[in-house]
Amino acid sequence: MKIVKVIVIVLLVAFVGIQFIPTVSNRSEYVPKTDFMLVNTVPKKISEKLQVSCYDCHSNNTAYPWYNKVQPVAWFLEDHIVKGKSELNFSEWADYSDRRKKSKLKSIISQIEDDNMPLSSYTLIHKNASFSEEEKKEVVTWLTELKDNL
Amino acid sequence: MRKLKLSMGLLAIVFATLTVVSCKDSKKEHDNEDGHHSEMSSEGNQMEMNNESEEHHHAEGNDEHAHDKDASMKTREITASSKKNAATSAIIDGYLQIKNGLVADNKDNAAKGGTALLAAFSNFDMTKLDEAQHKEYMEIVESAKEQAEHIAKSPIDHQREHFEGLSADISDLITLLGTDKTLYQDYCPMKKVSWLSETKEIKNPFYGSKMLTCGSVKKQIN
Repeated sequence: MKIVKVIVIVLLVAFVGIQFIPTVSNRSEYVPKTDFMLVNTVPKKISEKLQVSCYDCHSNNTAYPWYNKVQPVAWFLEDHIVKGKSELNFSEWADYSDRRKKSKLKSIISQIEDDNMPLSSYTLIHKNASFSEEEKKEVVTWLTELKDNL
Repeated sequence: MRKLKLSMGLLAIVFATLTVVSCKDSKKEHDNEDGHHSEMSSEGNQMEMNNESEEHHHAEGNDEHAHDKDASMKTREITASSKKNAATSAIIDGYLQIKNGLVADNKDNAAKGGTALLAAFSNFDMTKLDEAQHKEYMEIVESAKEQAEHIAKSPIDHQREHFEGLSADISDLITLLGTDKTLYQDYCPMKKVSWLSETKEIKNPFYGSKMLTCGSVKKQIN
């Protein structure tokens, strides 16, 4: 019984303790002029969908949920965002060469088509981030056109 | 009293650990993006080249893919095959290793090819390139490396997807720098993309055993 008590106390202390560990927030005051939305003419519907479904992890500006204030959630999110941005960063779209834009678009399209993105752990909480069949078709068609015109 | 001592001890350990972890974890953020801003160029003339190759391709009367108009975006004709250049051999070997892994439905071998290709890029001697070549080389390699990284760590479907883009990159690289190897540029009518092979016999890497002999030789290099 004594040992259980000790473990509980330790866990509690650890939980409180990790709250003080800082994480870097992925927030930006302005939208850089290299942003996907600024260098392309994106229809409103598609731009909104991409913002809601992709931009939290694939841009320099995350709309954080309240529970991001709690560890270890913040670590988990930070890790996702760092990885997400290294694969694709919409905020730096204009900095990619045409060759890379094309290959990024190809990957974006296939990830959306195959339901690999947005991640199910993300859509679990962000219900409006998931793609309906209709939205999928619309976004994929538009992105394919963009890719073929590059 | 003993219990108190124990708790205090544990607390001390926990805080010590946290302090260490916290020092390590903060400032983790780094700029992911490579710091160069190469502007896109030279894509225009590549497009023209592609269109030519399409026409040529149809003129041959190859009826099995007569309706692949949009394929001009994805297939690239290699034009500079007259240049004999051994410097690209290691890169092409890495690419072919991936190709052969995919042909054999062997994910691990394809992944090894990806790693080999990455090594070949880092060992490539860029000092022999002139300024224009260097610029285009960097652009191609930046893209090809990304494809190779994915191939080195992904399941086979994903590897095949990246192999499509990689094939275009390597074709462009050979157009730019040449090779002394004998290669065949093959065309997959289902994927509407080209790939490179060291054998004349068709072995399609995009579907593995399912559609191994599907495709046609479009061009021989050397």
